[in-house]
Amino acid sequence: MQSDSIKRAIPWMLSLAVLALLPVTGLLRGSFLSHVLVMILLNASMAQAWNIIGGYAGQVSFGHSVFFGIGAYGAAYAVTNLKMTPYPGALAGAVLAAVLAVIIGYPTFKLKGHYFAIATFAIVEVFHRLFMIWEDVGGAVGLDYPILKDGWRNFSWSRSKVGYFYGALILFGIIFSLVRALEKARFGYYLKAIREGQETAESLGVDARRYKLAAMALSAAMAAMCGAFFAQYNYRVDPSMVLSLDMSMRFVLITILGGIGTLWGPLLGAAILIPLQEYTRAYLAKLGPGVDLVIFGLIIILVMQFQPKGIMGMIDAARKRRRKLAAAGNEHEGGRQ
Amino acid sequence: MGLFLQVLLDGLWSGLLYGLIAAGLSLIWGVLDIINFAHGEFLMAGMYVSFFLGFLFKIDPLVSWVASAAFLFLLGVVTYKFVVKRTLGKAMAPLLATFGLSMVIKNFAMNRFTPNFRILSGTIMEGKVISLGQGAVMIPVPNLVTALFSLVVLGLLYWMLTRTRFGWAVQATAMDVEAARLMGVNTERIFILVFGIGGACVGVAAGLLPSYLATHPDVGSLFGLIAFMVVAMGGFGSIPGALLAAILIGLIESFAGFYIAPVFKYVAVFGVYLLVIMIRPKGLFGW
Amino acid sequence: MQRKLMLVVMAVLLVLGAGAQEKIIKIGTLFPLTGPVATAGQRCTAAVETIVDIINGVYPNLDLPIAKKAGLLDGYKIVLVKADHQGKPDVAKSEAERLYEQEKVFAIIGCYNSAATKPASAVAERLQKIFMCGASSSAALTEREFKYFFRLAPTDRIESYEFVEWFQELNKSRNANIRTAAVIYENTEFGKHAADEAKAASAKAGIKIIADVPFTPGATNLNSEIQKLKAANADALFGAVLGADYSLMVRTMKQANWKPKIAINYCSGYQDPNIAQQLGQDGWYFMGSAGYTPEFGMRFMKAVAPVEEYFKKKVNVPFDSNSIQEAVAMYVLALAIEKAGSLDTEKVAEVLRTTTFDSPLSMGGKVQFEIPGGQNIKAQSVISQIQNGKYITVYPYEYKDGDAIFPMPGW
Repeated sequence: MQSDSIKRAIPWMLSLAVLALLPVTGLLRGSFLSHVLVMILLNASMAQAWNIIGGYAGQVSFGHSVFFGIGAYGAAYAVTNLKMTPYPGALAGAVLAAVLAVIIGYPTFKLKGHYFAIATFAIVEVFHRLFMIWEDVGGAVGLDYPILKDGWRNFSWSRSKVGYFYGALILFGIIFSLVRALEKARFGYYLKAIREGQETAESLGVDARRYKLAAMALSAAMAAMCGAFFAQYNYRVDPSMVLSLDMSMRFVLITILGGIGTLWGPLLGAAILIPLQEYTRAYLAKLGPGVDLVIFGLIIILVMQFQPKGIMGMIDAARKRRRKLAAAGNEHEGGRQ
Repeated sequence: MGLFLQVLLDGLWSGLLYGLIAAGLSLIWGVLDIINFAHGEFLMAGMYVSFFLGFLFKIDPLVSWVASAAFLFLLGVVTYKFVVKRTLGKAMAPLLATFGLSMVIKNFAMNRFTPNFRILSGTIMEGKVISLGQGAVMIPVPNLVTALFSLVVLGLLYWMLTRTRFGWAVQATAMDVEAARLMGVNTERIFILVFGIGGACVGVAAGLLPSYLATHPDVGSLFGLIAFMVVAMGGFGSIPGALLAAILIGLIESFAGFYIAPVFKYVAVFGVYLLVIMIRPKGLFGW
Repeated sequence: MQRKLMLVVMAVLLVLGAGAQEKIIKIGTLFPLTGPVATAGQRCTAAVETIVDIINGVYPNLDLPIAKKAGLLDGYKIVLVKADHQGKPDVAKSEAERLYEQEKVFAIIGCYNSAATKPASAVAERLQKIFMCGASSSAALTEREFKYFFRLAPTDRIESYEFVEWFQELNKSRNANIRTAAVIYENTEFGKHAADEAKAASAKAGIKIIADVPFTPGATNLNSEIQKLKAANADALFGAVLGADYSLMVRTMKQANWKPKIAINYCSGYQDPNIAQQLGQDGWYFMGSAGYTPEFGMRFMKAVAPVEEYFKKKVNVPFDSNSIQEAVAMYVLALAIEKAGSLDTEKVAEVLRTTTFDSPLSMGGKVQFEIPGGQNIKAQSVISQIQNGKYITVYPYEYKDGDAIFPMPGW
């Protein structure tokens, strides 16, 4: 049993190690490429954090930018106002986000379907506008980092992106390992059971609300960590940057494009959307403003038409089709019932 | 007293405008059980129709709302056929597909029409104000006319849903698609028409708005969001609920803006919405 | 088909040729080409483009030193790399990095929004590259004491003091009795800084601020904001209101049938000639700061008009206070490269820090950057008023086109 789970972890550990060796190869010399890679890792982590509550527990929240924002503000506040390292701020942000998640989740989880979705929109708007007028955290102006010494102490690197790459990789490793463990843990099974049918799960003695709240808190804390990274990466935070509906949609879109409720969906989604977004913005500018976003929108519409389970859904379908073909081939003429 | 009345009336006009914008969204939600995320962008597209008719052919918004409504009827039908239809019944897929559509419409407008703010000048209602009590209370005519349109459209919509055969078919479809189909209702046609009518309702607002609001690609975003609040607060597809919620939101906005602080007005709107939804999870008129 | 083929061949040759010669200087522009203030961003980009055309080509008709010969130094052509920050600070930061590190631009000109200029210029400072800022007006930008940051436009602080000085002048000469003021501003980096400066300058002059009204940009209406102003009924109104919100503000003021004695605007919707035209008579008699108006240019900045012709061909409007500052940013950078005689960032930056430039495109004709900070201390602005659809300069008196109409006539 023990050795089995270790065996299963080997490919995962190996792939993380391979990623960790990327900077050594010199492939990351171009800074834009490393920017894109950092963004992929960050966005995959964000999407995975959302996936815990949105995918596994089936509560489609459009409010994750609130948690993301709190993490970002935590780190930035520690650095700019308290003149500390960002770590205690990020940690405080994560804890605060988890607490807030429970406070928000407690009343909103009783809302069904679209009512829940719209309530989470409203929560984002309320927080956005409150941060806009909260002068202690800079109000609309936000918080700007002073120029800091490079290194892990300040979690800041201005000359090369390698530091950020490792930072993002650690974040990615933690969140993906966590969800990987979740998939096999009892907690994960409970969440899936609640998603498939809350009444059924409850009749089997699963305290649905408690598990959903726990999932929400976990998801929020992870989103906050991602937010802290985002603030460190941009040396700045303001309400529109982090606490916006656009940012909330990013959590959802990446996961859904990749495959909601699957372990690898968030990574696939980020690996496709982020390069698309970064490169179209950089290189399609000649076609006039907004073309990249038009393309982005069309992709979303198309994916929703044909495979709402995202790319993982497409892969699954293709695999099934192949298996079916193989099965039909094996059983010759009498294969189909 | 004059000031209080002024704030009250300002809130009422905004509220009725929100009601007119939200009516179509409410109808679509009630029948198809989906949120059209591109609703605000529908509004923006309709405003461009009205603006260009006024700018190029000197047609007044008081006339060109017909064209805006017709245009958005078509846009609604096209949206249903090509964006929504295949996603029906798949959880969040319709919402996300229409979110994609909203990006396409907004950025298409940005690309084609530039982000310039376009103001229509020389319209019939421009700057007309009814002054009561030696200027103690001012009633801007364009806002008043829009409010009246709102009442008429919502009234017609309610009448259509409750008093006509078509309306009964719509209600039957909203309650149970399978049962309606068995009873011989062409549910597919109902869906198409509902999306078209929903578009046309916001088209009326879009047609009138250029007489007092600048048209630009971003104009629909906040209106769209407020429309979501109105519909959710009013309750699942309820037209009277939407009207009541819209007026409530308009008043909250106006009073919070004036008596607390202007920056606080949308915080109050969204905050009160959250409170209402906690007490009545399915909205004021929801069941 | 054949034409297309030819074009492709030509393009390939061009690229190869450029590669062989390597006589290009890449300059990045970073403006909001999409998003709510994209219009302004597109005009700023076009303004930089206009100057680059003039540098690269030969324009004997223009009275500018860089117009006579093609290119800079011994035949270096400038190539613009245009980027879009969408009005978002995080995008501005990563695009600035891309421009410097990937595109290897020599310098960036940007970013219009102060909130985007801040992180983008911090990138430049960290990489020790030149950042030229035309129009962003937040005074905080030049208080960071960056070494590679140079800003052309007057700050909102300079403007605020000028506004208040103008009020005092009116009090003295016209018996205006301006004792109280109100501020209305969008609740953003730009609006808040402007409002803070307005309050500070007013406090110094003993003018009492009796209404402080921030609002959310892109609001669906400004009713409660204007009702607040009407209820306070201050003598003067400071406005920092951009674009569509400006026209909404003016129209709502009309609906509420309220006007202060004097309404004065920071760089905002007031300066946009399109908005002024669309507002028609409703927009008359408002005042605002201006680093440039076509009317002013005709009289005091003769060199601008011929350049403006080329600019108009791109965007169909004359220069405004913002776009012309971006043009000057490109122009001054070109002069500095010429003077440094090399493409060494340190040398060019040193020239920028130590030289007083002649700039026929700037009000006052000179540009000199203060060290530390990089603020153009020769930056000037005038106060204009829209009268009969025209921007009439009313103060300072040495530049005036006409007398101010004061107090503002009622609706």
